[in-house]
Amino acid sequence: MLTTRRARTAHLLLFVFIGMIIASSIIGWVTNRTVTGVYEKVVADGLTTAPNPFAGVTPLYYLRNAVIYVVLIGSLMAIVLGVQATLRDRKAATTDLVLSRPVGSVSRLLGQLAGLGVVLAASIGISFFVSWVIISVINGAPLGWADTGRVIGFALLSWVLLTTFALLGMLTGLRSKQETTALLVPFVIWSAVAFVLPQIGTAARPVSLLNPVPAVSSTGGYFDIVSMVTGPVSMTEQFKTASSIILQDTAVTGNAAFSILILVGVLAVMMVIVAATPRSRMRSGLNE
Amino acid sequence: MSSTWVIAQKELLDLRRDRLFAVLIAFLAVATLISVGVAAASFRTQLDAYNLYVQQLAASGSTTVPAAPQLFPLQLLRGGVEYLEILGALFAIVLGYGTVAKEKYRGTLQLLLSRPVGRFAIPAGKVLGLAVVWFIVVALLTVTTTVAILVIGNAPLQGIDIARILIAAVVAWLYLLFWSALAIGITALSHRLSTGLIVAIVVWLVFVLIIPQIGDTMDPDNQVPGGLFATLQIQKPDELKVLANFAVFDSIRNGLEVSSITKHFERLSFAFLGIKDKYNQQPLGLVWADMWGYAITLAAAILASVTFAVGFTTRRNLQRKIS
Repeated sequence: MLTTRRARTAHLLLFVFIGMIIASSIIGWVTNRTVTGVYEKVVADGLTTAPNPFAGVTPLYYLRNAVIYVVLIGSLMAIVLGVQATLRDRKAATTDLVLSRPVGSVSRLLGQLAGLGVVLAASIGISFFVSWVIISVINGAPLGWADTGRVIGFALLSWVLLTTFALLGMLTGLRSKQETTALLVPFVIWSAVAFVLPQIGTAARPVSLLNPVPAVSSTGGYFDIVSMVTGPVSMTEQFKTASSIILQDTAVTGNAAFSILILVGVLAVMMVIVAATPRSRMRSGLNE
Repeated sequence: MSSTWVIAQKELLDLRRDRLFAVLIAFLAVATLISVGVAAASFRTQLDAYNLYVQQLAASGSTTVPAAPQLFPLQLLRGGVEYLEILGALFAIVLGYGTVAKEKYRGTLQLLLSRPVGRFAIPAGKVLGLAVVWFIVVALLTVTTTVAILVIGNAPLQGIDIARILIAAVVAWLYLLFWSALAIGITALSHRLSTGLIVAIVVWLVFVLIIPQIGDTMDPDNQVPGGLFATLQIQKPDELKVLANFAVFDSIRNGLEVSSITKHFERLSFAFLGIKDKYNQQPLGLVWADMWGYAITLAAAILASVTFAVGFTTRRNLQRKIS
């Protein structure tokens, strides 16, 4: 935690993340007001008799864009924090010093992970608390217990996803021979998980995957079969699905349990893989 | 000029030996090919559904034949353009950063600076080297995707289609060069090498992902699946009349989008390839008449980026670096 506090570059990503999560509520509110204005104008001009598609949306609607900022900014921030945590020790050779004390390698790695977990929890906590306040102000009253519970659930799920990416960063920070490779490999994996895998299974275009709502599978023989394989491993899409259900987005229906289970399962697997890193690997220097 | 070319040749040699570079380009090529394959499979799925529907109509005794889905081969490239837009820019940043960082990591910086090279020879040579590398990469990707359209997409191409693909390839080359040059400048300015990479990635995040995403989010028509105006059954002329009352909001939204170089690249490529319906099957002259403004701004951005890289990659900035 202390070293993360001193890593000024990582702060840049932290500020962008917190700022965008907070801004997402305001952007959502401004857009909603404009769309309502458009609808009222259409009705006043006698162009439609259809009901307002936004009538009765929950206050949590304003938070829906936060889903995509967690996937885009939060994941990359977590990767950078994870890489820096392990790489810094290898560059400065502090692992040798730490492991000369009565500390096991598993304890050392899990301790680092706990520190990162606290940093991520603090970032998510601050940004979602401010969002809660903004939505309450927009709503004209504090969010009720049920909606607050949903915001907390969304925050917990965000923490699970970000911690998984932080573990990925830690892993490449421990395994790579060069700093550039350590940063780049998890970025490539993130790109594959966030863009390529969902596209193979759903035919969704890469840019449309920047939508907070998960991509819907194209119906047809090929896509039905492939999406059965790629769907569960498309972690970011699983996160979007679970978050949209938690935030009561009407565009997504179903049960969030399966998606949550997958996200928690991947987190557990990543923890085991990182914790199993041998001492010799932790102490190895960089090839640069 | 000769020392600039020598440094450019060195960059080419370094990148030819760099396994990471090979992995990145292979990943980009595979992602692009997958996007063509998936788009073709999606079209076949639509066609199968259409044929089934027509069969059912015929079986029920109906004589109505609905219009069949039509394949426009260049529209299969949409995913590939978007991959270049997002991942291509990210990889261009990594390559730009790498050209500066490797000199420090390998200890070759002092050797390079001890030679009688001109003030701008090192950065100009690095930019020139990357320009050649991106030219080769874009040429290979263009050939690969064109073959993929013919083989995987099973779609015939005309001479004009090849011309459109070549224009889009030039636009892609300039776009990638923009990001590499920007990364060289940012890395040269940063005191710590990793800071240069992370700052460049934050710039990428903001201009490639966040700003276009905000622009899309603020579009009233994107608020409802299938489109707000389609849901309300509003015709296009009425839609434009209604939106005229929200001109300030729309100007802010569009202003946000066009502040991103990525949108300029996307709009130019989509227009020339006919991916945007408005320009599909339209003569190139008509597309150019609408798009020349974007071409000018893209060219200006590249000029600024290269000037930034060459101007700030000074001997002093390079020597004060710590890894």
